[in-house]
Amino acid sequence: MKTAVIKFPGTTCEVDVYKALLEAKVDAEIVRYKDFDPDKYEAVVLPGGFSFGDYLRAGSIAASTETMKKVKEMASAGKIVIGICNGFQILVESGLLEGALLPNLNLRFISKWVYLKVVRNDTVLTKGLDKTIIKMPIAHAEGRFYLDDIEKAKRLAVLLYSDELGNVNEKVNPNGSLLNIASIANEEGNVIGMMPHPERASFKLTSPTGDTDGLLLFRGLSK
Amino acid sequence: MKITLSSYEMEVVRNKLGREPNEAEWMTIDALWSEHCSYKSSKTFLKSLPSEGENVVMGIEDWQDAGAIDVGDGWAIVLKVESHNHPSAIDPFNGAATGVGGIIRDIISKGARPIALLDMIRVGNLSLSRNRWLLKNIISGIGFYGNSIGVPVIGGELEFDDTYNDNPLVDVAAVGVVKKDKIVPSVIKEPGLKIVLVGLTGLDGLGGASFASRKLSGEDEIGAVQIADPFAGKIVLDVTLEVADKVEAIKDLGGGGLVVGITEMANGFGAVVDLDKVPLRVKDLTPEEILISETQERMIFAVKEEKVEEVCKAFEYYEYPCAVIGEFVKEPFIKFYYNGKEFVNLPSELLLSPPRFVWNVKKKVKSYGSKPEVGLEESVKAIVSNLISKEWAYSQFDYEVGTSTVLKPGEADAGLIALPNGKLLAIKGDANPDLCNEDAYECGKAIVAEAYRNLASVGAIGIGLVDHLQFGDPRKPEVYNDFIEAIRGIAEASKFFSIPIVGGKVSFYNENKNGIPIKPTPLVVMAGLVKDKYLRNKVDETYVTLIGFTRDEMRGSLFTKIFGSYGEVPKTRLNEDYLSSQLVIEAINDQSIIFAKDINRGGLIASLFSILVKGMGVEINLSRIPSDSEDWIAKLFSENSGRFIVLTSEPETLSKKAKGIHVSVIGRVTNNQNILKIDDKEINLEKQISNYYNYLYEVIS
Repeated sequence: MKTAVIKFPGTTCEVDVYKALLEAKVDAEIVRYKDFDPDKYEAVVLPGGFSFGDYLRAGSIAASTETMKKVKEMASAGKIVIGICNGFQILVESGLLEGALLPNLNLRFISKWVYLKVVRNDTVLTKGLDKTIIKMPIAHAEGRFYLDDIEKAKRLAVLLYSDELGNVNEKVNPNGSLLNIASIANEEGNVIGMMPHPERASFKLTSPTGDTDGLLLFRGLSK
Repeated sequence: MKITLSSYEMEVVRNKLGREPNEAEWMTIDALWSEHCSYKSSKTFLKSLPSEGENVVMGIEDWQDAGAIDVGDGWAIVLKVESHNHPSAIDPFNGAATGVGGIIRDIISKGARPIALLDMIRVGNLSLSRNRWLLKNIISGIGFYGNSIGVPVIGGELEFDDTYNDNPLVDVAAVGVVKKDKIVPSVIKEPGLKIVLVGLTGLDGLGGASFASRKLSGEDEIGAVQIADPFAGKIVLDVTLEVADKVEAIKDLGGGGLVVGITEMANGFGAVVDLDKVPLRVKDLTPEEILISETQERMIFAVKEEKVEEVCKAFEYYEYPCAVIGEFVKEPFIKFYYNGKEFVNLPSELLLSPPRFVWNVKKKVKSYGSKPEVGLEESVKAIVSNLISKEWAYSQFDYEVGTSTVLKPGEADAGLIALPNGKLLAIKGDANPDLCNEDAYECGKAIVAEAYRNLASVGAIGIGLVDHLQFGDPRKPEVYNDFIEAIRGIAEASKFFSIPIVGGKVSFYNENKNGIPIKPTPLVVMAGLVKDKYLRNKVDETYVTLIGFTRDEMRGSLFTKIFGSYGEVPKTRLNEDYLSSQLVIEAINDQSIIFAKDINRGGLIASLFSILVKGMGVEINLSRIPSDSEDWIAKLFSENSGRFIVLTSEPETLSKKAKGIHVSVIGRVTNNQNILKIDDKEINLEKQISNYYNYLYEVIS
């Protein structure tokens, strides 16, 4: 799938995502936000960072750009839209995904490796995944997912914070997210947002255990 | 505005100039002649630091923003250390954040991409609420800036001591990577270039260089602190690297603002600048304010006329202000115009050559007592209660961004990061204020040796270092004596290890509100390359092996800090550090060890504690510790250099390879969780281990 990685001013993870996509054999390129032509791509990734500084609510300024109008066109055409960390915040702020990402319960930025349980297999990233528990890092200050409709949240959830064995409980919830939700997709499954960074779990050298679970997700874009 | 020039200096100016400067000119001279910008009290001695080596691509030259070291395959690293001590004492969040921003811009000034940050933080006693407030905001300020611009913080130091109660030390180091043939200078080589300024100038940081060059007055000096705007910083970072090969010189506007940046960049040539062309954040700034404002996120470029449009276009894509404000000229005068009128006209030579000072020195008289009467269990517990996990701090930093961080913060004694050429770079900052307070010369050697061992513990050999010399008022003879002694020690050790010093910084006037200087706190940051294999520490039930010889030299140790000073000052036998480090690196490469940690603060017990906190037990036999003394206190708590603890299942392999250094199996790792067994005495450290993990979270909340 020809994939665009969007760089907004303040985006910090575009090169990391691009390198990880190449590692996963995805046909990808970095596109500056004003230069984005949606017709050229089948998928788009909004990487992490601090778009426009995030001095307002995270993701809110990027959400109102021309660029996001084009991303919305892609989403409604059934193309794949993925938001990672700040990208997830932008998708929520622009209404492409439901819910909100609130400040972490402890009110600070938190950077750590977490285990995630895969609970939905109908998205391009999780389809055909053998593993049900994967490991990758999070790094955010506003990642507490909230949605007032719990049943819906359950339906949309793709990844949940868990322990090594897949147990989902408050102890392993790093930010206070509803139902330990780390990632959701829309009902159709073509728009996916996640707080964890798969690109940071895509290289053996920098993975503490040597596992590259991030690549397992990105591989879905290589078809 | 305060002027810090002495009456003697003002007389020198009048004599050289043959007239009375106007107010704007006094401010210009004050900024350029400030200790912060001119190094007038330190330069005579700084010049003795060994700065040359085969691998040095760019060493300490006047006015260059950072040094560069060859790392092979056409690549170089750029290394820099800076502090933001005085601003952080007043506004810890912005002070620390702008410290990060400033050092990042020093790195990009060389055309290098910043790939890692280290922060070394020292604040006062956490029982005081003001110090907790300082710590909390310093850490969140560093996170705010570093995270926003996407440069990982991969390691650092965090220390508490009463000496920093009014004057915290916030040191930040940065590493960048650049192709050797693409390094951009900070000074011009020819006149006739346009001066291009990017970024808006505001009212913050007025007279910051001068502010940093005197002690904190206790008055409201918030106007001298700069405000951090990391979003602008990120644009400056991205676009500066984009245009780096289209410009002749790059300089970050830091201490002293526009007037210092332009004078330093002119490097003896002249400049004509029209202040009306400076893009302003707020209207109606006076020309004097524009001159010395230290608003962050501004850079100046020396650009050939035909390239100006291309350079500014790149910034304008992100709606970032870019303006031509003047020109570098042959005539060696720095001239500023406002409203068409000349209001500063000073010779470059005058501005760049302030009188140098060599102050009087006097040796400190120290008194110390005799060996205290303490029990084994009591002293072990007291020592390890001082050892705490820094997770609370580093978990606020985005240490994974860049996907190059091989060893994570807290994982080892040095940070480890992958370079674009595939090599692995280890980096570590070290200081030892308690030892420096006893003997600054031995301490200067000791901190270089410690950094060398820290790098060895992950498999790396030092290739270059930068130093940061933090002291009180240099006019005080005891302070100046420590300063000179510390330089002598650092210079000797770096010569011994053949590790060039490629940059440095001096910060004087660090005192508490009663005028008591801080403990001398020179700090070194060393970078090194992994030889072949690196070590990711693991613990397992195997032999605990001590490499090196333990000496009864207790002064300046954590033990004497807690129980009272006595004994001799530890002497750094540099060759022992060299030999033990070589042995450890060799063992890492033949994969005969699974864990390595050097011995430093807290002595042997502290190194063993790092095994206990991983959920294991340790038992050791005192008689197995090679030492010049039978005293258990020295064996357990001496901090003398040249030593490591390693875990290995084949200690005889190590012994066979050892040259001129002791190797002794002193015990085993056990599965007896929380239990440290010394000879027949079992000590349960469960409470101390829990304190290790929870202390910072609890004290800050």
